Amino acid sequence: MADRPIHIVVAIKQVPDTSNVRINPQTGTLIREGVPAILNPYEVHALELAVRLKEQHGGKVTVITMGPPAAVEALRECVEQGADRGILVSDRKFAAADTLATSYVVATAIEAIHKEDPVDLLLFGKQAIDGDTAQVGPGVATRLNVPLITYAVKVEKFDPENRTAIIHRKVERGVEILQTTLPALLTVEKEIAEVQRAPLPNIIRAAQYQPEMWTASAPVAFDVAQIGIKGSPTIVGSAGTPPLKKAGAKVTASEKGVAETVKMALAEVRRVKGEG
Amino acid sequence: MTKLTFDAIVVGAGPAGTSAAITMAKSGLKVILIERGRFAGSKNLFGGVLYTEAIKEVLPDFAKRIPSPPFERPVTEQGYWLLSPDSVVRFMHKSESYKKEPADAYISLRAKFDEWYAAQAVAAGALLITKTTVTDFIKDEKGRVVGVQTDRPEGDVCAPIVVLSEGVNNLLAQKLGLAKMDLPPRLVALSVKEVIGLPQPQIEQRFGLNGVKEGVAIDIFGDATLGLPGTAFIYTGKTSISIGMGLLLEEFVQHNLHPHEVLARFKSHPVVKPLIQGGESLEYGAHLIPEYGYDRMPKLFADGVLVAGDAGGMVDALHREGTNLAMTAGRMAGETAIEAHKQNDFSAKFLREYRRKLDDSFVMKDLKQYRRMTDFLDETPHFMKTYIDFANDAAMRYFNAHGLPKRDMEKGIVKSLGQRRNFMGVAKDMMKLMRGMGI
Amino acid sequence: MSDTKNRIWVFIEQENGVAHPVSWELLGAAQKLAHDLPDASVEGVLLGQNVRGIADEAFRYGASRVYLIDDPALAYYRNRPYSFGISNVVKKYAPNIFLVGATSLGRDLASSIATRVRTGLTADCTELAIDKEKKILAATRPTFGGNLMATILCKTARPQMTTVRPRVLPTPKPADVPVAGEVISEPLGMTEAEVGTVLLNFIPSEEEESIEYADVVVAGGRGMGSPKGFGLLKELADALGGVVGASRPAVDAGWISYAHQVGQTGKTIRPKLYIAAGISGAIQHRVGVSGSDFILAINNDPNAPIFGIADFGIVGDVFQVVPELTKQIAAGDQPLATSH
Ligand SMILES: Cc1cc2nc3c(=O)[nH]c(=O)nc-3n(C[C@H](O)[C@H](O)[C@H](O)COP(=O)(O)OP(=O)(O)OC[C@H]3O[C@@H](n4cnc5c(N)ncnc54)[C@H](O)[C@@H]3O)c2cc1C
Ligand SMILES: Cc1cc2nc3c(=O)[nH]c(=O)nc-3n(C[C@H](O)[C@H](O)[C@H](O)COP(=O)(O)OP(=O)(O)OC[C@H]3O[C@@H](n4cnc5c(N)ncnc54)[C@H](O)[C@@H]3O)c2cc1C
Ligand SMILES: Nc1ncnc2c1ncn2[C@@H]1O[C@H](COP(=O)(O)O)[C@@H](O)[C@H]1O
Repeated sequence: MADRPIHIVVAIKQVPDTSNVRINPQTGTLIREGVPAILNPYEVHALELAVRLKEQHGGKVTVITMGPPAAVEALRECVEQGADRGILVSDRKFAAADTLATSYVVATAIEAIHKEDPVDLLLFGKQAIDGDTAQVGPGVATRLNVPLITYAVKVEKFDPENRTAIIHRKVERGVEILQTTLPALLTVEKEIAEVQRAPLPNIIRAAQYQPEMWTASAPVAFDVAQIGIKGSPTIVGSAGTPPLKKAGAKVTASEKGVAETVKMALAEVRRVKGEG
Repeated sequence: MTKLTFDAIVVGAGPAGTSAAITMAKSGLKVILIERGRFAGSKNLFGGVLYTEAIKEVLPDFAKRIPSPPFERPVTEQGYWLLSPDSVVRFMHKSESYKKEPADAYISLRAKFDEWYAAQAVAAGALLITKTTVTDFIKDEKGRVVGVQTDRPEGDVCAPIVVLSEGVNNLLAQKLGLAKMDLPPRLVALSVKEVIGLPQPQIEQRFGLNGVKEGVAIDIFGDATLGLPGTAFIYTGKTSISIGMGLLLEEFVQHNLHPHEVLARFKSHPVVKPLIQGGESLEYGAHLIPEYGYDRMPKLFADGVLVAGDAGGMVDALHREGTNLAMTAGRMAGETAIEAHKQNDFSAKFLREYRRKLDDSFVMKDLKQYRRMTDFLDETPHFMKTYIDFANDAAMRYFNAHGLPKRDMEKGIVKSLGQRRNFMGVAKDMMKLMRGMGI
Repeated sequence: MSDTKNRIWVFIEQENGVAHPVSWELLGAAQKLAHDLPDASVEGVLLGQNVRGIADEAFRYGASRVYLIDDPALAYYRNRPYSFGISNVVKKYAPNIFLVGATSLGRDLASSIATRVRTGLTADCTELAIDKEKKILAATRPTFGGNLMATILCKTARPQMTTVRPRVLPTPKPADVPVAGEVISEPLGMTEAEVGTVLLNFIPSEEEESIEYADVVVAGGRGMGSPKGFGLLKELADALGGVVGASRPAVDAGWISYAHQVGQTGKTIRPKLYIAAGISGAIQHRVGVSGSDFILAINNDPNAPIFGIADFGIVGDVFQVVPELTKQIAAGDQPLATSH
């Protein structure tokens, strides 16, 4: 029996490129100006996996993000990479959402997509590099009541016909090989799929692509008590740059000679350890 | 698979390419503008002055566009510094007449400006494709260019005309044999530049500026480049200072200099240091500037191809002009392509029209006037050091009351020049300089 | 059930019947928090199959009570039964604070619990305190690639949940003798059929020396220049009885495997002696080592930020200093930091 077309949803986030973030040393605040916004790196790989599975089984890849209007760019990048449909859930009312409120919005949106067009697999990044929380994926899986497999590194088998898949999951001590029912939600590591260069026709399609825009009230009416600041139990109390520990002695080897300097260093280690 | 076909392909979204794309798109041609950077401008570094005359000819309403062009400050004061190791002679011109809307020249950051400018091309209907590098050409059986190949899968694009505006590193023009491979190091300058962030009030205080409606552009000769033939610059942005220096590549090699060391040395010059002190380095980069001069310019057209901007060697290094030449050339390339479409003739013979237009414009006229400048500097490597140190020394003698009668002081100045260079030498230098300037 | 107002819960993480030491680190932190909260009690939550014995260990580390769900469906970790079981216990006993280790298991679990009980969760905290005025948990964590530390509060929802990485907090000393405590058993309420995932196989990773709990870590950065440079570090580490660590660029360059990476996206360590050779000391690196007892830094740039946290700094060339250290240590009869 021929495979039926599959439907994969990838949840993505646009993030500031943290490798470029700078801090104003005087005020301890973030300098956002000039920091490029990028598609969260893990999702690049999640999307690549989705596109590969689509190529194998036929079907469609939908990308969804909750974010500011500028996140359209991140969705376009997904279209470049091979996504078919992009949805931007964007509304002032979503602002200042923590992971609980974010997972509510993303889960609710995915439910709506699923009703229209049943979903076989949900792909999330391992974590977003701006917050590094890794909470939204597990939160969404819990809300949608689908099996969750975090830190996925490989899809060994994907069998939408029998609604089952075999996934490799990386943990500290090794790799778990798990069988799961479908639909399931995976949060993926970069190893999940090697990113291939997108073909030019995709780039051209993406340059002209307008993603669907969803607001807090249409086409899905989100519960206002669960979104934005209202739906977020956590707040940021204060922020600052981490303090430096007080520095100890500093000796220049070229002045004292290498052997003597090393001797001094070892004596200092012994002295402090002896006290401790 | 359907072939990707356009009316025109533009390679590189710098000032030249974007100008060509806007010009063609406005006339209704289906244009694809291909840029290898993450966005237009992402790979572009430059010292900072943009001239509005050239922009206006491409986009008459540029100042009224929304969002408005991301200029930093208008140039309301400009001039030269002659730097000796421990002093400076300044020739600066500041005038209220510079203050008009829009001003003639603006200090800008290219990463921002190019992105904005390319967005205007998109608004005009061009298709902007980024993160894609053009790698080669598609030719028909007669060897005429009918499209390009890119570094992407399924990446071929066809069009009867290709505008090459790939910048100084003109690999594609070389591939067609229009430009020579591997510019000799004496025909290309290497420039390093740093953008240093400082709070706006501090910049305005240090440079004597009254708000963001004022800005300074300084070109610096002498000790900034160790007295070697090259220039340095300082431009004021809104909350940043652009500082940089450039030398012929050959000088770096010959004197075993490292660009970042020369810049670091310049930055620590007693006159320069207080201007940038306490600032934070935001960006650092290096870029080449073509110095072919008029006589060694690449060929600017071939069957199905036009070359514009740095790719065609269109830089007037003496007046730090490049973007305006690039924009004007880009526009003319666009206009020629429109004509070619009307006549349905993309032959080199027809496209020669482009070169003729350029020859009639300031682009070629200026380049022609300064055609011997590179040669001059080449033949007179001591020029900078000799005369700049002399100028500083003269100023010192002139302004100091050493208890000398004025007459003796003046004699002293002349003598000090004589010590640096004999009379015949001075006379020869001046002759050569005038020739270099095309006087 | 309101024998105490302020229950501070710690998730006792175990796999194959062995408790993860981060559980004890968290019990230590919980006791500190209990000092600043009125009427507080420190309690553990333990899930698994035949794991009752671990509760006794938890008592020795300061838990007064352990909630235990012992069920075959919990024989190995899976998100659904674990988060389901714990959420029910949370709803029933309403703890005020709930701390979970930020291991891959703990991070997977904590967010699901927080979602089920609709509360706030702060990931990867590096510092825990009770806000003096509001008497709520102030959880500090790095954000924006470690460039900024943010303190997160959870104003009204309960429990206040956070995850904390192993080794961020010191390991408390357990009681020498068995300590009595209360075990409260709870049912899981989910059957195997409802779980959805099955473990087919487990491939253990090749045995790597663990840097997380080593007493001496000799780490190298980009300044070591090559895998050969790391050879020098290995010799020094061997002389000291320690292990080799690395900064991220050294790992990215493939000079050493990821398991050795120290810092925000690698391991947090708190060895007795940390030697940083050819490491500049970027913030993302510093957060991973700031708990070390003694930091010896070697760098040829006198302005390298690493000197800002070093107890002793050597401004010099690693290729001279590191071999000399090895030489003097090998020659010396006095042991160094490894002495207990
Ligand atoms: C330090 C410095 C200071 C300067 N200061 C001034 C000044 O103050 N005022 C002034 O007017 N001029 C100045 N110039 C000169 C000016 O920057 C150049 O003349 C001008 O940028 C030329 O424009 P262009 O469009 O020809 O080339 P570029 O601006 O170099 O643009 C070429 C574009 O093509 C892209 N590209 C290249 N190859 C490919 C390919 N194969 N496929 C796809 N895309 C490709 C590049 O990424 C780039 O975006 C300065 C130059 C330097 C280096
Ligand atoms: C989100 C994010 C997460 C990150 N996570 C981590 C992390 O977990 N761990 C981590 O380490 N980094 C991490 N980084 C990277 C971090 O910002 C730094 O880039 C990195 O720590 C620098 O590594 P380094 O000190 O080895 O290299 P460099 O910064 O290049 O420093 C090399 C040092 O070696 C010195 N040196 C060179 N040659 C010699 C010599 N012959 N003798 C003596 N000294 C010499 C130099 O003076 C210099 O100080 C992260 C960054 C981001 C944005
Ligand atoms: N605003 C969002 N919209 C859609 N997906 C998101 C959003 N935020 C996070 N995600 C997804 O959840 C993953 C984990 O994010 P985080 O919990 O923020 O580390 C990301 O890698 C994304 O796949």
